[in-house]
Amino acid sequence: MEGDEEKFVTPGEVLGKATELKAGKGAYVSADDRTVYASLTGFRSLTPPPEGSDDPRPTVEVKGHKAHGPVPEPGLVVIARVTKVMAKMASADIMCVGPKSVREKFTGIIRQQDVRATEIDKVDMHASFRPGDIVRALVLSLGDARAYYLSTAKNELGVVSAESQAGATMIPISWTEMQCPLTGQVEQRKVAKAGA
Amino acid sequence: MESKPSVSPSSFVDQQVFPGDVVLDLSKMTNQTIKLGGGLRQDGDVISVMKAGKLRFSKPNKYWVESSHKRYVPSAGDNVLGIVVDAKADNFLVDIKGPMLAFLPVLAFEGGTRRNIPKFEMGTLLYVRVVKANTGMNPELSCMDASGKAAEYGPLKDGFMFESSTGLSRMLLSTPTCPVLETLGKKLAFEIAVGLNGRVWVNATSPSITVLVANTIMQTESLSPAQQKIKVENLLQRLQ
Repeated sequence: MEGDEEKFVTPGEVLGKATELKAGKGAYVSADDRTVYASLTGFRSLTPPPEGSDDPRPTVEVKGHKAHGPVPEPGLVVIARVTKVMAKMASADIMCVGPKSVREKFTGIIRQQDVRATEIDKVDMHASFRPGDIVRALVLSLGDARAYYLSTAKNELGVVSAESQAGATMIPISWTEMQCPLTGQVEQRKVAKAGA
Repeated sequence: MESKPSVSPSSFVDQQVFPGDVVLDLSKMTNQTIKLGGGLRQDGDVISVMKAGKLRFSKPNKYWVESSHKRYVPSAGDNVLGIVVDAKADNFLVDIKGPMLAFLPVLAFEGGTRRNIPKFEMGTLLYVRVVKANTGMNPELSCMDASGKAAEYGPLKDGFMFESSTGLSRMLLSTPTCPVLETLGKKLAFEIAVGLNGRVWVNATSPSITVLVANTIMQTESLSPAQQKIKVENLLQRLQ
């Protein structure tokens, strides 16, 4: 099964037998557990088995295509920009996963019950987010076909940066309020606790 | 349009103002709190106008711009006349002549539970209160007042609804009673519901009274109080 060290593969190509190889990232085992196929486009690479494990098979992965940017996974903290605020939820465009920016468009939804941890049925979405705010959120789940489910129900999650109605970047005052430096107007948001 | 060298607040009150006019200079006024209503905006040290209309002032410190439009901008606390467009699982979609359809929650009625949800057909006329109206979000309505009572909100049966401008609606709702309604009310018996979104509903025992009241109101929009009384009396004489 040797060939070039880094063979270019496309989805559906056979990578090897399941008895000889373990399926890593970008690869999967067929339903009858006999063959390992590629599921992404990229370069095939083999990694030897980790020490101390019983499994002697090397792991085959498909990596390297430039469209494989970071992808939101449940449990990761993402940075998103709020696009729409509605009565019971807010839509956001995910821009970064951890420290890296994403290469494709991912949409997230923050539901009313996931905005904060206390008094979740009295949350006013308009007093928590506005369109254009940058928020730090946690990915709860893959959600449905349209969007990931995000949550800001922690002290360090919430609005990181927002513009006031006068157009200036606001300064956070408390966990519920931000103030405009030009007009002094205070606006309500669910503010993230600043700090490393 | 003369330009005044010093901008004192009294110079512009009750005058027609246009977007861009500077009406107040905050650096000249010290230690005062001023409340700005619709149509005004703070630009650093000056207050400038955003909407064309008449600048109004109410003691002690409220300024706002009043204008009359055929379009309605939803704002919380207004009583409006809406038309049901659709019924979804959780709310009715109601048209209130604003930029977006408004949501009327299915439970926002006095004594409303999941079991006795009212069945409104498409086209039903409702007298409702705007609860929340934020930019970008669909306005939220309710058929209850702030304390949870029904208070005249709900569907309006029979009668005739016509649309006009928001200025006319405000005139009809002003206190003391506007001359048109007062003069009409002395001779005729009718009921009327005025929505701040430019819709007015009139109902009377006979169609001719309804038509007379509706036409009279529509014709008196731009008349002064004295002219209104004269016009109404003329029209009433023709009926007799």
